[in-house]
Amino acid sequence: MLELVSLAVVAGILVAAAASVVLGTNLVHSVLLLAVLLFTTAVLFVLLDAPFLAGIQVMLYAGGVVTLMLFAIMLTRRSSGVAVINETLRGRRLPAAFLSGSLFALLCWAIHGTTDFPDGGDNLLSTRQLGTSIFTEQALSFEVLGVLLLAATIGAIVLARKRDHGEPEPAGTYLYGTRAREEASR
Amino acid sequence: MLEQTLLLPAILALFLPLFTALLLAVVVPIRRHGWAAAGASVFTAVAALVAAVHVFAQPNDGQPHVWSVTWLQQAGAEIVAFGVRVDGTSASMLVIVTLVATCVQIFSLGYMKDEPRSALGRYFTYHSLFVFSMNLLVLAPNLLQFFLGWELVGLTSYLLIGFYYQKPSAGYAAVKAFWITKLADMGFLLGLLSLFLVSGGFDYESTLQPQAATVVTLCLFLAVMGKSAQFPLHVWLPNAMEGPTPVSALLHAATMVAAGVYLLVRAFPLFAQAPITLNVMLWVGSFTALFAAFVAVVQTDIKRVLAYSTCSQLGYMVAAVGAGSAFTAYFHLTTHAFFKALLFLAAGSTIHAVHSNDLASMGGLGKKMPITAATFGVGALALAGFPGLSGFFSKDSILEALAERGAWIPLVLLLVAAFLTAFYMGRTYILAFMGEAKGNAAHAHESPSNMTGPLIVLGMGALSIGWFGHAFAEKVHQDYHFEFGGLGAVASLLGLTGLGLAVTLYSKRRHQIDQSPFLVGLASVVNTAYVDRLFVSGFRGLALPLAKGIGWFDRYVVDGFINLTGWLGLATSRQLKRLQTGNTLDYIVAVVIGTIIVLAWGVVS
Amino acid sequence: MMLGHVLYVGVLLFCLGLYGTLTRRNVIGILLSVEVMANSVNIVLVAFSRFTHNLLGQVFAVFVMSLTVAEVVVGLALVILLYRTMRHTDIDEASQLRH
Repeated sequence: MLELVSLAVVAGILVAAAASVVLGTNLVHSVLLLAVLLFTTAVLFVLLDAPFLAGIQVMLYAGGVVTLMLFAIMLTRRSSGVAVINETLRGRRLPAAFLSGSLFALLCWAIHGTTDFPDGGDNLLSTRQLGTSIFTEQALSFEVLGVLLLAATIGAIVLARKRDHGEPEPAGTYLYGTRAREEASR
Repeated sequence: MLEQTLLLPAILALFLPLFTALLLAVVVPIRRHGWAAAGASVFTAVAALVAAVHVFAQPNDGQPHVWSVTWLQQAGAEIVAFGVRVDGTSASMLVIVTLVATCVQIFSLGYMKDEPRSALGRYFTYHSLFVFSMNLLVLAPNLLQFFLGWELVGLTSYLLIGFYYQKPSAGYAAVKAFWITKLADMGFLLGLLSLFLVSGGFDYESTLQPQAATVVTLCLFLAVMGKSAQFPLHVWLPNAMEGPTPVSALLHAATMVAAGVYLLVRAFPLFAQAPITLNVMLWVGSFTALFAAFVAVVQTDIKRVLAYSTCSQLGYMVAAVGAGSAFTAYFHLTTHAFFKALLFLAAGSTIHAVHSNDLASMGGLGKKMPITAATFGVGALALAGFPGLSGFFSKDSILEALAERGAWIPLVLLLVAAFLTAFYMGRTYILAFMGEAKGNAAHAHESPSNMTGPLIVLGMGALSIGWFGHAFAEKVHQDYHFEFGGLGAVASLLGLTGLGLAVTLYSKRRHQIDQSPFLVGLASVVNTAYVDRLFVSGFRGLALPLAKGIGWFDRYVVDGFINLTGWLGLATSRQLKRLQTGNTLDYIVAVVIGTIIVLAWGVVS
Repeated sequence: MMLGHVLYVGVLLFCLGLYGTLTRRNVIGILLSVEVMANSVNIVLVAFSRFTHNLLGQVFAVFVMSLTVAEVVVGLALVILLYRTMRHTDIDEASQLRH
């Protein structure tokens, strides 16, 4: 009973936060509400007997991702002093709503149609078991993940670094054909 | 062994004229020279004649000998073959064709003497081409090669009728001949197609179901009607007289128009299986014989008399086949070839002398041109069926065949036609050769020997061939027995009466007779222009709209279908292009749609 | 609580995030919505792991988290690059791949 109530509260916060993230106009507000969403997810994880995951959730997501987003917003503002506008495209609302709605209906129907939901016992899984599993059974995936993270890091650095001569790239540098046009005009 | 005695001469007879024709067509200097071309052509004609006689002289064992090369095969079965078939019928026809062709070509050396040289070369090129085409037809082992030769002789006829192409009337005549015969040739084509459909081949001796046989033979008979000038497709033959007279003698008297009858004789096994067609032929033939004879009576142009006469005699032959006797028709074809070619050449001789075709310009030529007059007389008597001459025997056997068949009304028609034939030939002879010589006729003189020679040769043939009926029948392995019975007597009597009537009427008061109301009335009734008008309105009313309709169909439906597929492709791509908006969100939407579809499919199944 | 309830929540979050991905004009806004979607996936995974007593779900969730972080990193780097060349972050304007 208590569990159901807590689930309901958590769910409610989640949905509200998500709705604001996707519908709100102020970008910074959206990012902050995303942080709320991520924290609340961590709470849900605790409810689902996955404390370790709750911890990582807070650290990585709520901490790291949100910070990154804020930095990115800061770096891509056009004019100073004005709140970043983040509106939704008019022409897209209806089709998107239709699509999301139909996907939702489809999945709900799939869930509803399932009769044999497993009911987990009280034998909880421990973090120790989780760790063992990652480093033994899923060791290969773990290593690959490491390589991937490395690649992502390097890639991000390469993409976002400044040019050697210190000047920002002229508009349209990486567009198709611009390099050739530049050479020709030289 | 047999190959050498039969095959080789036949091949020579067939291909030597072709060689000459090609030589003259390609090597222009020889053709332009004129006399060189003439010499080459005459030489090959004589060579072909010698070869033909050689083939003819071989003992006939009754089996047809066929040598052919397979042209088209399907699943091992031979469909189309080209080659030669040598048997009694083709050997004799070969001799007739080459003999008459040689005579005509030698005659042309004199008749066409005054033509410009290059025209002369063209003339002899066409002549050689004609001999080749006719031989191709005669020696054909199957109906397909026969058709090939048929069309080629049609082409040669067109070329030769339109020989004086500067004259509009000659061009008109050539086109008219080609068109009418082309209409008829559609029948040949349909007949070939249906024959192939039911029997898988083009054999003369196929066995068919009666309905199939009727369809095939009726189609083939349409072709015969065109080529052999049966009513109503006879209208091209009078116009064909625009060509030089030797051409009229060869093509439109002796050989080409006889090709239709030759088809009937060759394919008689087919026709024998279709009694309905035979009946049709009987009536069409006898009607044509009578009708054409009437028209011949009122003609003023000597060549037109002979043209309608040819038409009439061909009607006799067709009726004979219709009565079930192919041999009598073939016999008449042979005798007719001789005396009709003779008549035409003799007429050519007179035309050459008075420089006009019109009978009114002639008269009293009997004294000036004795050889011509004598040979013309022989030919006329043979045509009229004077007892003892060749026409008598062959015409009589036709009448007997009709009587045996019990075809009384056609028989009567033919007897009346015989009377008229004698009448108009008598009229023609008297108008041309007797009486006083006026105008141009007064200056006429006998033709040179290269023109009279052939006349004599053909005259001898016309005199004698009749007596060889039995030998001839043996050669082609048919039954033939000649009895001079009551019918023969009646026919001869009619002939003599006709001649007598002509002599009485025309000797004294020739011009008055021609103006008499009866003849004037007759002339207006049998005017060929009526049939011509029928053809023109038929073309305008039927063929042209049909052609336009089919053309529309071809342009809009057939082409339209192709254009539609092209347009469809373009339209589709134009619409599909719009997916490439360049907008990332659109692409995400596409991904989502795809995902939903896959999920839905998974959930449903 | 039942597995089904949690699943419903996860699915709802996912679809909300989807709506946001398809609708947002700002590129960073889109990335935010993608984050929401990834988060909902994690919720579903952990829920399954809890109720089927299988460790694999949690392991998978850990991996998903790491991958998502990497994806955000690279994505934001691209956003910065995009801003440098085009001076705006409007997804609608970035349509040079139009046919």
